[in-house]
Amino acid sequence: MNVLDISDAGHAYLGRTILEGIDLSVAQGEIVALVGPSGCGKSTLAHIAAGLTEPRSGRITRHYARHAMIFQDPALMPWATSASNIDYALRLAGEKRRDRQARLAAVADHVALTSEDLTKYPVELSGGMHQRVAIARALSIQPDFIYFDEPFTALDVALRRRMQDLVIKTCADGNLSGLFITHDLNEAARLAHRVAILDTRGSGILGDRTPPGTPRTRTDAQVFDWVQGVVQDDPIFRHIHDVDERQIA
Amino acid sequence: MTRASRILEFLWSGWSGLAALCLLAAVWQAGHEAYGPFILTSPLETIQAIGVLATSGKAWEIAALTLQRAVSGFALVALAGTALGVAGGYSPATMRLVTPLITVLMGVPPIAWIVLAMIWFGGSDATVRVVIVISALPTVFIGAARGITTRDPMLDKMSEAFGAGPVRRLFGIGLRQTTTTLFPAFALALGTSFKVAVMAELLSNAGGIGGALALARINLDIAQALAWVSIAVILLIVVEYTLVQPVKSEIDRWRHAAQPWGVKR
Repeated sequence: MNVLDISDAGHAYLGRTILEGIDLSVAQGEIVALVGPSGCGKSTLAHIAAGLTEPRSGRITRHYARHAMIFQDPALMPWATSASNIDYALRLAGEKRRDRQARLAAVADHVALTSEDLTKYPVELSGGMHQRVAIARALSIQPDFIYFDEPFTALDVALRRRMQDLVIKTCADGNLSGLFITHDLNEAARLAHRVAILDTRGSGILGDRTPPGTPRTRTDAQVFDWVQGVVQDDPIFRHIHDVDERQIA
Repeated sequence: MTRASRILEFLWSGWSGLAALCLLAAVWQAGHEAYGPFILTSPLETIQAIGVLATSGKAWEIAALTLQRAVSGFALVALAGTALGVAGGYSPATMRLVTPLITVLMGVPPIAWIVLAMIWFGGSDATVRVVIVISALPTVFIGAARGITTRDPMLDKMSEAFGAGPVRRLFGIGLRQTTTTLFPAFALALGTSFKVAVMAELLSNAGGIGGALALARINLDIAQALAWVSIAVILLIVVEYTLVQPVKSEIDRWRHAAQPWGVKR
């Protein structure tokens, strides 16, 4: 069963069409990575799917109970401690005070935040820790669907890997589905069940490809071979590394 | 950092304030010695005059009247200015409508408003409050509007993604980000409130510290005049450090989180 269905979605910004005729679905328990060159409208599509942006056309059907979102900018409130930042999501989700305490402790443990980290303000934490708190915030409300909007782009390679492992572990543990936006094909191949490719100019999904195995069992060698293979031979990946730095989106 | 250590640090920072006041007193003393007591009484004589005033119940009543007017006027302008500023920050149309009005308000001298308010309300509390509100409104408005327009749009997206409606976004995310610009505006507005209160009292013959100053002028009593000016400043400092600063330091706790104890920038 599909938990998210996007059919014929389109969007325009200041009179310029940036998305057109998008059909994409995510099945129960599946992580779909959406890849495409910078500025092709991936993030906008995620925001449309999550209901943050109103699409100009098309229909979005959501069959999940509760979603969470992890952004590229961790979007932590600078005036609140890590604990309060996580608690903010729990409060918005309408959890009772007693449950919030327990949930906070459990999720902090899960993403390896110490009790000391929890009392700190974002200014006292590194970029990696910010993203860890943002992940904890997203997981705390026990979503069954997570939108990842290029969450690890700003992190260095080692840290990014560790965060990816955290996502793989979490998604395999809980029965989570998700849409993972990224322009990094390696990242997509590492943690998604299926990789969908968005057209350079946002006019439709070019197609989707399935890397071997599951994210949990996939080895680094398999990821590497698969990425090398598709970049060389698969025509729909031809423009994946195109960059137009003048384009804003 | 615990609250106790924050309070200690705050009290410790009082030394620098004291040093500044001593410097001012030194310059004042130099002026006194250069021009003589008829032009400028010495700081010590002024303090003595304040001491004499402090023993009379009448003086306390006069000061309380001005304090009441200034603080109530400030409360009004803080509420009205913040509400208008937040509305302007969120809605560009409101901003475009209100900005020229703010410029007009800034262009009209407070003295003109005092004359108008006197005609409308006579020598009452209302006269003083109206002049305070009109004089300090632009400051608070700009402070609040700036805070909203320069807010981090990502935080709005985030809170919307986690299910916050417009009202929760305003109170949880939007207003919280105005503090950077709003609190300096409040401090300015509070100072304006006291200045304008005394001025309006003096000109509209409405009693209070302004009335006492008018009396000192008639008697050419420099010590008395300076004593009342000092009392007005002391009142301002007391209100600023009991009302505005504690709230500000509680709200701005996170800014100091990464700074070691006692380090001043």
